[in-house]
Amino acid sequence: MLLALLFAYGVLNGILQGFGIMPYLGLTTPTLEYYTEALTRSDLISSILFSLYVAAASSVLATMGGVTLSAVITRLRVGRTGRLASVQIPIMTAHTVVALSVISLFSGSGLLARVLNSIGVIGSQADFPTVVGSSQGWAIILVYLWKEIPFVAFSTFAIMGSISDRFSEAASSLGASPLRTFFAVTVPLSSPAIAKSFLIVFAFAFGSYEVPLLLGSTLPRALPVLAYIEYSSPELLDRAHAMALNGIMSFITLILAWLYLRIIQRERRGR
Amino acid sequence: MRVFFGIYLLVVFVPLSTIAVWAFVDRWPWPNLLPSALSTRGLAEIFNGHAPIGGVLARSILIAVAVSVLCIVIASLSARALVFYEFLGKDLFRFATILPFIVPAAVFAMGIQVAFLRVGLGGTMLGVIIAHTVVALPYAIGIMTDVMAAAGPRLEEQSRVLGASRRQTLVHVTVPSLLPGILASASMAYIVSFSQYFLTLLVGGGSMKTFAVVMFPFLSSGDRTIAASYSLVFLVSTFAVFLLFEWILKKLGMRETRSLFL
Repeated sequence: MLLALLFAYGVLNGILQGFGIMPYLGLTTPTLEYYTEALTRSDLISSILFSLYVAAASSVLATMGGVTLSAVITRLRVGRTGRLASVQIPIMTAHTVVALSVISLFSGSGLLARVLNSIGVIGSQADFPTVVGSSQGWAIILVYLWKEIPFVAFSTFAIMGSISDRFSEAASSLGASPLRTFFAVTVPLSSPAIAKSFLIVFAFAFGSYEVPLLLGSTLPRALPVLAYIEYSSPELLDRAHAMALNGIMSFITLILAWLYLRIIQRERRGR
Repeated sequence: MRVFFGIYLLVVFVPLSTIAVWAFVDRWPWPNLLPSALSTRGLAEIFNGHAPIGGVLARSILIAVAVSVLCIVIASLSARALVFYEFLGKDLFRFATILPFIVPAAVFAMGIQVAFLRVGLGGTMLGVIIAHTVVALPYAIGIMTDVMAAAGPRLEEQSRVLGASRRQTLVHVTVPSLLPGILASASMAYIVSFSQYFLTLLVGGGSMKTFAVVMFPFLSSGDRTIAASYSLVFLVSTFAVFLLFEWILKKLGMRETRSLFL
């Protein structure tokens, strides 16, 4: 509870700074100036769109992949070592480490480019398509997929396992194919867990800073990167700009969270 | 389906092996498929170079362990409240437990930095531990809530009916039945804390360097052999801690019932 308060205080403090209230700089009058400046900057819309696009692509693909992986693990009755290798090791690996391996695989001088060069598909490093630092965010999405597919599988595995134990026999004795059973029984029953992990992945991919900083393009920049650049500027007043960007960022995620809660509640009532 | 799983495992391990190879690369000019010279220069540099990593590594592990212990205690109590009791503002509390998932960590970090500096927590280990706990807690609470809901109150009631005291019930029934969940949340919290870069950088300032903070600049630019060496040490050390947790689980007789995480 105390930590929740602390968290709220941190966020609130940030929001207040966005309105220009920074007692340590002698500023106490609230102003909308920083928000107006943040909202009217030319690169804001493209940053928001870029972050939303990366988050949406990562979370949709990761959820589909994670649910599939979870189903495959359940069905194949993968043993401990298999689960360790397929789910636990990726969860243990830091995002930044994955980013490094994406660089060493997919950059212009990366392993894939070398392989393509040796079989004569491309002639030089410049022929290799831009993956790292591309304005399409390929490399960022790759990192999130590698990390979050196992995470989704981890979050849905337990519930899907118990559902398939209980219901799949009933469904198949009633003549349903395994695929049909999966989509008609297992997925709907585990949808709260799936929805929750989807939201977590989306919010994480939208708001985290490390991966887009390492792998992103300079134009457009991801929203958190934009905020950090303002925050770390030697001009202390720029912090207010950063906080205004943070405020916008939180606002977007809070709307999404509200939508999510609405969906969950409707589902509960529906049962 | 087997083929799918096989391909998937390949996708997991190819990137990890590239890291492992790069850590020992001395020279690897374009467009060679294999490195032309190998050495242990990278590992030597981080362990015995200008800034030996040993102390930083020990500090990071200490912080992460403290975070997991805090998380287990708070998460167990919160999960208990959420699963077994009805109270005013329960929905609000439930919402608060997932809030750190939703609000970007960067927002929290930038907001809390100044506040921590003012109360003297900025740049201290305690400050870093508290900040990490805030972001790791939702994972731990999530796992503990699931485990507790699955275990249910029945075993405890049985034990009380059979005449066990509250303490006996706690020690012999409640804790053992929740142990896999406790260890799973502990290792999740450990991982979250150990790999936390941005929050640590802001709250810890320049003085509280953790492994993730020291590693980061090398990843974005510069010597890839050094960067890969850091990453390799990172992987090996988290994996070692994970194996330790598994070993504890096994020692306590919790085999196969519910493995760590899954």
